Amino acid sequence: MKMSSPATIESSVLATASTFLSSRRLWLVVAAIAIGLVPMIFSGSYWRTNLIICAVNVLLAIGLDFVLGYAGQLNLGQSAFAGIGAYASTLLITKLGVPFWIAFACGVLLAALAGMLLSIFAVRLRGHYLAIASLGFAVITYQVLLNWISLTQGPLGIYGIAPPPPLTIPGLPSISFSNTANFFYLTGGFALLTYILLDQLVRSPVGETLAAIREDEVSAASLGINCQKWKVFAFVVSSAVAGAGGCFYASFVGTLVPDAFFITESFSVLAMVIVGGMGTLIGPVVGAILLTVLPELLRGIGDLRLIVYGVSVTLVVLFMPGGIVQAVRLIAAVLRRRFTDRPASTNP
Amino acid sequence: MLTVILQQGINGLVVGSLYVLVALGLTLIYGVLVQINFAHADIVTLGAFVAYFVTHLLSGNYFAGIAIALIVGGALGWLLNTAIFAPLRDRGNELLPLIATIGVSIMLQNAMLLMFGPIPYAFDTPYSNHVIRFGGIFFTVQNLLIIVVSTITIGLLYAFMKFTFVGKALRAVSQDRETAGLMGINPNYIIMLTFIIASALAGMSGALLGPVLVLTPFAGTSVIVKAFAIVIIGGFGNVEGTIIAGLIVGLIESYTTQFLDPGLIDIIVFALLLLTLAVRPTGLIAERRDENV
Repeated sequence: MKMSSPATIESSVLATASTFLSSRRLWLVVAAIAIGLVPMIFSGSYWRTNLIICAVNVLLAIGLDFVLGYAGQLNLGQSAFAGIGAYASTLLITKLGVPFWIAFACGVLLAALAGMLLSIFAVRLRGHYLAIASLGFAVITYQVLLNWISLTQGPLGIYGIAPPPPLTIPGLPSISFSNTANFFYLTGGFALLTYILLDQLVRSPVGETLAAIREDEVSAASLGINCQKWKVFAFVVSSAVAGAGGCFYASFVGTLVPDAFFITESFSVLAMVIVGGMGTLIGPVVGAILLTVLPELLRGIGDLRLIVYGVSVTLVVLFMPGGIVQAVRLIAAVLRRRFTDRPASTNP
Repeated sequence: MLTVILQQGINGLVVGSLYVLVALGLTLIYGVLVQINFAHADIVTLGAFVAYFVTHLLSGNYFAGIAIALIVGGALGWLLNTAIFAPLRDRGNELLPLIATIGVSIMLQNAMLLMFGPIPYAFDTPYSNHVIRFGGIFFTVQNLLIIVVSTITIGLLYAFMKFTFVGKALRAVSQDRETAGLMGINPNYIIMLTFIIASALAGMSGALLGPVLVLTPFAGTSVIVKAFAIVIIGGFGNVEGTIIAGLIVGLIESYTTQFLDPGLIDIIVFALLLLTLAVRPTGLIAERRDENV
C-alpha cells in the first residue's frame, strides 16, 4: 500500500528533478561558472595562489584516480611524473628557449613515457609490490633531480621561470598569465577539460574494460581483454595528466626545487584521492581542494595544523571508508528515501 | 686499498644491520597482515628521540635509552594496531590501512616537529668517541655496540620464530590466517603481538640509528624508504632474505659513499629494487606468494 498514486507521481517528479540535478551537463556548467567566479571572490594574491595550487592538485589527483580507482593499480609515483613534467618543460624553456606550449607538450609527453616505463613493472606486479616499485621509481626520479646538478642545479633549484607567454587573440586585448586570475583560468580550465575527457573515457567501454581488470584480471583476460595493453594505457594517461600538472606548477611558482617532488607528495595526492572518494572522478576533485585548503584554513592554530591534517586523514579512512563523496551520497540517499516515504505514510 | 675496502665493509655492515632491524619489523607485519605500515618510519624517529632524551636525562646511560625506546616503540605499535589496523582489518580493502598509516605518519612527524623543532640534534652517545684501532681499521665502540646488539636481537628473533610455540603460531598465521585460526591459534592475538615486536624493534633501531642519522623529526623517512627496498629485495615476509638484503644495502651505501658519490646511494639501491622486481619478483629467497607477482 505504500506506493499510492500521489506518491508515484511525486516520486516521478522527484526522479525527473534528480536526473536534472545529476545530469552531467548541468554540473559541468556549474563547475565552469564556479571556476569563472572564484578568482573574483578571492582577489588576494594569497588565496589566488592557493586556487592555482588546488587546480594543479586536482590534475594530479584525477590522474592518480584514473589508474588507481578505475584500473586498480596502486601507483605511488605521481610526484615523479609531476616532477618529470615540470623539469622537462622548464629546462626546455630555460636552456633551449623552446616556446612554452611546445615545451608543455614535451613535458607531458615525457611524463607519459615515464609512465609507460613504470607500467612495464605494473604489467608483472600487483598490489603492494607495485606500490613499492612505483615508490622506488619516485625515489630514483627525486634523487636524479637532486644529484644531476649540471642539468637541474640540484637542491639550489631553478629560479625565475617565466609564466606562459600572453595569449593574443586578434581583435581582443591580450591575456597575460602573470595575472594570477588569468593563470587560474588557464589551469582551472585545463583541469575541467581533463576532467571532462576522463569522465567520457571512464563512461565509455574503456572504463568498463579497466573496471574488469580491476575486479578480476584473470576473468578479464579470459574474456579476451588484453590486460597488459590496458594497464599501460591507464599508466600513460595518468602520468601524462600529472605531467601537465607539474608543467603548470613550475611555470606558476617560478622556482623549481627537487623537494617539491619528494615521495611524500605522492602520499599527499593519494590521500586526496582516498579522502575524496576513490573510483569516482568527483571524489579526487573534492579531496584535492579540501586537503589543499584545509592546512591553509588551519593556519590560525599554527604548528598544530599539520597534526590536525594527519588526524583528519586518518579519521576519514577509519569512519568514511568510501571517502567524502560516498558519505555524502549515503546521506543524500537516506534523505531522499525519507522524503519519498512521507506522502505514502500520511495517506494511509 | 684493502684497508679502505675492509673499513667501508665494516661501516656498511653496521648501518646494514640497523636497516635489517627496521626492515624485519616491516616484513613481520607484512607477513601476518599483508599490510604496509608507513608509520613504522616515525616509530624509528621517535625511538631515536626517546633514546636521546633519556640518555641525556640519565647523564649518559645509553642502555637505558635503548631500553626505553624499545618499550615506547612497542607501546606505539600496540596503539597503532588497536586504533588503526584492527578496526580496518575486516573491511577487506588493502588500501585503507596504508592511507591511514600515512595519516598517522603525518601526525607523528608534525607532533615531533612541534616538540623537538626542525634543527638536527647532535646525538653523541658515551661510546661514539671511543675508537678502537685494529691494524689500519678504525671503529668506534658505538659501532661495536650496534653490531652486538643487532646480532643478538636478530638471533633472538630468529630463535623465537623458529623454536617457541608463539613464534611457530606467528609463522602459521603468516602462511594461512584462516587455517591457523582453525588450529586454535587466535590470529588477533598473534597480529597484536607481531605489531608490538615489530614496533619495539623499530624503536630500538631508532635508538641505535640516532647517532648515525641527521636526527630531525623527518629522519625516519629516508630509513623507511630503504627498508621497503630491502623488504622487497629480500622477499616480502621472508626473514632470511631480509637480513641478507639489509646487509647488502648497507654495503652498497658505504662503498658508494667511498668510491662514487653519496648522492647515488638511493639510485643504486632502488635500481637494484626495480631489477629484482623485473628479474626475480619473489625476492632473493623465494616464498610463494603468487597473488602479488
